Amino acid sequence: MKPFNPLFSQRGASAVQVTVGIVVIAALFAFPQFVKSPYVLHMMILFFLSTLMGQSWNIIGGYTGQYSVGHAAYFGTGAYTTLILLSTKEIAPWYGMWLGIAASIILALIIGSICFRLRGPYFVLASIAVAEIVRLTALNLTSITKGAEGILVIDIPAFKIGETVITDFSSKVPYYYIALVLALVIIGVTWLVQHSKLGYYFQAIREDQDAAHSLGINLTIWKNSALVISAAFTSLAGSFYAIFVKFIDPSTVLPLDLSVQIVLISIIGGIGTIFGPVVGSLVLVPLSEALRSNVIAEGLINSGLVSETSGIGIFLKEHLAHAHVLIYGILVVVVILFMPEGVLGYFRKMTAKRKGGKA
Amino acid sequence: MAILEIKHVSKFFGGLAANSDVSFEMSEGMIMGLIGPNGAGKTTLFNCITGYYPPSKGEVIFDGKKMNGLQPDTVCKLGMARTWQKVRPLAKMTLLDNVMVGALCRTNSLRIAREMAIEQIKVVRMEHKINFLAGGLPIGERKKLEVARVLATQPKLLLLDEVMGGLNPAESDELIQLILDIKSQGKITQMVIEHDMKAIMRISDRVVVLNSGEKLAEGSPQEIVNNPEVITAYLGSEH
Ligand SMILES: Nc1ncnc2c1ncn2[C@@H]1O[C@H](COP(=O)(O)OP(=O)(O)OP(=O)(O)O)[C@@H](O)[C@H]1O
Ligand SMILES: [Mg+2]
Repeated sequence: MKPFNPLFSQRGASAVQVTVGIVVIAALFAFPQFVKSPYVLHMMILFFLSTLMGQSWNIIGGYTGQYSVGHAAYFGTGAYTTLILLSTKEIAPWYGMWLGIAASIILALIIGSICFRLRGPYFVLASIAVAEIVRLTALNLTSITKGAEGILVIDIPAFKIGETVITDFSSKVPYYYIALVLALVIIGVTWLVQHSKLGYYFQAIREDQDAAHSLGINLTIWKNSALVISAAFTSLAGSFYAIFVKFIDPSTVLPLDLSVQIVLISIIGGIGTIFGPVVGSLVLVPLSEALRSNVIAEGLINSGLVSETSGIGIFLKEHLAHAHVLIYGILVVVVILFMPEGVLGYFRKMTAKRKGGKA
Repeated sequence: MAILEIKHVSKFFGGLAANSDVSFEMSEGMIMGLIGPNGAGKTTLFNCITGYYPPSKGEVIFDGKKMNGLQPDTVCKLGMARTWQKVRPLAKMTLLDNVMVGALCRTNSLRIAREMAIEQIKVVRMEHKINFLAGGLPIGERKKLEVARVLATQPKLLLLDEVMGGLNPAESDELIQLILDIKSQGKITQMVIEHDMKAIMRISDRVVVLNSGEKLAEGSPQEIVNNPEVITAYLGSEH
C-alpha cells in the first residue's frame, strides 16, 4: 500500500520547486550569452527537441495509456508540410508549421478512427502499420515529396516583425531559443492537462477503459482529444527539425526507428509524469551522440581495455555507431526490469526510502 | 410510473442463453434484490441494462426512454450507474481521484468535483484513505471505493453487483446500512445482486430470482423464501 507522498503531489508545487524552476529557466535563457560553442548549443537544441517529442507522446502514451508506435507519421507530416511549402511556394516556416499542425490533426483523426477501435497490442500494431503507410506514401509520391531523394533547402528566410529583422538564422542561437520555448510550452501544456478534467479522464482511460466508459467517459472523444494534442506538438517538433537540419527524406523523418525512439524518451524517463521525458532526454540525447560519434568505442580502445586490432576492437569501431537500435533495446530491457517506473520513478522511490517512507 | 422496465430481455453467447426472456419492473425509490445461483445470468443482465453490450432481444426502458443501443457513458449520464462484481479501481490514481472521475461526469470544474467526491468518500467512511492509491487498498475498501465512485455520478438508479462479496461481517453490515440510508433519502432507486440471503431479505422490497438465464420467480422477500420452486432450484442446491 502506498501512502500519498506530498513531496510528489500531482497538485500544486512547493515554494522550493517553483524557485528551482525559475532559476533553471532563467539559466537556460542566459546560457547562449555565456556558452558560444556551436557544438554545445547543438546538443542543447537536440535535448529540447527530444523533450518536445517525448512529452508530446507522453500525453497519448503516458497519460492516456495508448501506446502509439507511429508518431513518426506526425513528425514527418510537420517536417514535410513545412519544407514543401517553403521550397515550392516560398511560404515561411512560421506559417508552414501551422499548416503542418492542421495536416497532422487531420491525420490523427483518421488514424484515431481506425486504431482506437482496437485495444492493447492490436492498437500498437495498427499504429505502426498506419505510420508505415504514411512513410511509403511519402516515398512514392515523388511529384510532391521528391521521394527518396528528399528535400533540401539552403536558406531559411529571415524572421521579421514588420520591417525589423528579428533573426536571419545564421547561427545556432535563434534555434536554441525556439527549441527552448517549444520545450517549455509542451511542459506547460502537460501541466495544464494534468490539472484539468482532461488529465483525470486520460488517466482513467489508461487505468481501465471499461470502468472509465461506465463512469460517463466517451472513449472515442477523449482518446481522440489526447491524440490530437499529441500529434499537434509532434508535428511542431517535425517542423522545427526540418528548418534546423534543412534536409528531410522519408528515412530520417518517417521511419519506424523514429517512432520507437519517441516512445523510449518517455519510457526511460518515466511515463505519465511531467518530468519523465525531460529525464529521458537527458539520458538518450548524450547516449545517441556518444554512439554516433563513436566515443564509446574509442574510449574503450584508448583506455587499453580493448585492443584496437582485436576482433572486439574492430567490431566496436566498425559497428557500434550503427548499433543504436541494439543499445536502445538493451536499455529498455534494463529499465523495464530494474526501473519499471522509469529513471525518475526509480529515484523517487530511492529518496522516499531514504526518508524512511514505505516504498 | 416505473423507473426501469425490462421487457423480454434475452442475451445469447453463441448457443448459450445467459438471459432468456427476462421481464420485470422497478418503481421509483425501491430496492430490488436480484438473486440466483452462480452463472444464473445476473451480471449479464446488468451488462445488458447499462449498455456494456446490447441485449440480443427485448427492451430496456429507463425513465421512459429506450436504452437499447446506448453506450455505457450515455447511460451513465442519463442517470444509471453500476458497480463491477470484479472491482475495477483506477489503480495508479488515489481514492480521491477515482471518485473525482465519477463526479466529473456532472461538472467540468475540478474544484466542484473534489467537493462532490469528498462528500461521497465521507458517505462510505473512508476519509482517512483519501490520498491512498486505489491499487493498494484491500478488497473491502475497493468495494467501498466502487460505491463512492458511482454515487459521485449522481445516479437515479444504482446497480450494485455483489458489493458485499469478500467482505467480513462488520464491513457487510456497514454496506447494508449504507444501502438502507440511500433508500431512506428517497432519491436513488437500487438494484442489488447479492449471494448473502440474509442481507437480501433485510434490504429488498422485492426480489427477482434468476436461474439458468430465466426468471424463476418474483415477489416480496417473504414470498421468495417460501416459494417451493426457489427452494429446490436455488436454495436447495446451495444448502
Ligand atoms: N462475455 C461472455 N461470453 C460468453 N459467455 C459469457 C459471457 N459473460 C457471461 N457468460 C456466461 O453467461 C452465464 C451467466 O453469467 P453471469 O456472469 O451473468 O452469471 P452471474 O449470475 O452473474 O454469476 P455469479 O453469481 O457467479 O456472478 C455464465 O454461464 C457465463 O459463463
Ligand atoms: Mg455475477
